[in-house]
Amino acid sequence: MLVAEHLTKFYPNIKALDDLSLEVSDGAIFGFLGHNGAGKTTALSIFTTLMLPSSGSVMIQDMDVVKDNLKVRGILGYLPENVSLYGELTVRENLRFLGRLSEVRKVDQAIDATLEMLGFSQWSDSKVKTLSKGMRQRVGIAQSILHKPKILFLDEPTSGLDPEGTADIRDILLRINAELGTTIFMNTHMLSEVTKICTDIGIISHGRLLLADTLKNVETQYKDCKSLEEIYFRIGNGVAQ
Amino acid sequence: MTGLKYIAGKELKASFRNKEFLLIIAVFLVMSIVSVYIGSTTKNAELKAYESIIATATTTGTEVPTTPVIFPLAILKNLVEYVVMIGAVLAIFLGYDAFQGERQGGTLRLMLTKPIPRESIILGKLLGAGLIIGLLLTVTLLFNIALFAYYTGVFPDFVETLRVVVFLLIAFAYMMSFYAGALYVSTKTRESSYGFLLMMVVWIFISFVIPQLAESQKSYAYAINNIAGTIAQVPGETVLSSAIGWLSPAVQFKSVGSDLLQAVSETATIRVDRLLVANIAKVMYLIVPSVVLTLLSLREVKKEAIL
Repeated sequence: MLVAEHLTKFYPNIKALDDLSLEVSDGAIFGFLGHNGAGKTTALSIFTTLMLPSSGSVMIQDMDVVKDNLKVRGILGYLPENVSLYGELTVRENLRFLGRLSEVRKVDQAIDATLEMLGFSQWSDSKVKTLSKGMRQRVGIAQSILHKPKILFLDEPTSGLDPEGTADIRDILLRINAELGTTIFMNTHMLSEVTKICTDIGIISHGRLLLADTLKNVETQYKDCKSLEEIYFRIGNGVAQ
Repeated sequence: MTGLKYIAGKELKASFRNKEFLLIIAVFLVMSIVSVYIGSTTKNAELKAYESIIATATTTGTEVPTTPVIFPLAILKNLVEYVVMIGAVLAIFLGYDAFQGERQGGTLRLMLTKPIPRESIILGKLLGAGLIIGLLLTVTLLFNIALFAYYTGVFPDFVETLRVVVFLLIAFAYMMSFYAGALYVSTKTRESSYGFLLMMVVWIFISFVIPQLAESQKSYAYAINNIAGTIAQVPGETVLSSAIGWLSPAVQFKSVGSDLLQAVSETATIRVDRLLVANIAKVMYLIVPSVVLTLLSLREVKKEAIL
């Protein structure tokens, strides 16, 4: 479980996160929605130990992301937006390197199993620089689940992908959640994706969390809205007013 | 430290698959071979000139000049120049994108979310570069010993081998200081090309501008080479030339390197340990920058704002 309490982050001249409190339960697929510059990546950076909060706390599986950062890193998987990996190395070499950094034992067996699960075994000896963006994204996901993390953080995982690539990634994430029981936390601004795979959503605007609930509850609460897009704009406009 | 060897291994693998890097290595090796060839032909020419003078003197009954002292390692002396020129560029090439490239490609964020200390990234990269540079210098050493044996007809003895090994260790320190500098710049800049340009400017100043300034402040005497029958300018240090020379590690490296490779007859027979003690300030001057720049890079990588 991820629990963030009163999280605030200041950059010079800007408050990127403003008293954000949030809970993500085990096994959920949480879609974190917000416009560009809303604070999604800042929150994700704090959750993944890349950045320190100015105040507040974040606990993942009862471990503090600041005090127990090395332990937290051992149980999280992460896929940044537009990661290019090491182009000169093959898929297997990339995964072997990153898997070893994640302290994966029997790394080659883990690579085989992960690539098999992602339907990507035939590309294991291809250099990453020869792969399409969608294929590279699969390798990125493979490295993020190689050590079977408890929670997987994804930053705009379908950004820049064509519809087919987007559908592929969506299926892969659903499989990871179902087969490995991994909690998934993803930053996105693609509302259509959220409705297709997320169990829970959070909406953030200008650093403030406007809503966090199960998708079902949100749809019930705003049953007069025809789509998530309409809900999103209504909540956003409500705050703006 | 966790992750260090894996990062070093990845650096090795990625570097040896980089065509530009392989080209620089090839140039370095070819130049070192050419250096031995040029050195040996120069020595042979001097010996032939001496033999011709002896023949003429014997025929005409004039005074025979004294037998020249041949210092075999001197045929390797051009290596000093190649380390200053190509070795330093190779080290810069290895380091200028080492950190910024990871940042730009998003792999830095990946590494930072792995259960390894942040320092491992810098130290792993240093270890990788150290292995690459060490490997290159070892190959150069083996090449040079083989060529030395081929051209002189004898294998270098223990003392000569020791001199070459110590020279290569000092060359290693010299090249690593350029790598550490490039790596530090890479942690500070957000544009790899800017980092490369900056390091090339530093290299030009260290390798050419400052040494030429120091050279211009030397006093010159003239000496007649009684073997070749030529007049040569013999430079002499002045206080100013020496002071300017201390601004450039290249000047100090050339000085220690020339002593070790018997390019300077005054120091050619001094024992290696005594030579090192006499040059301790210069040797430290070549080692300390790597340490300081590494510490600065480590400080940089601990900062939150490295992403």
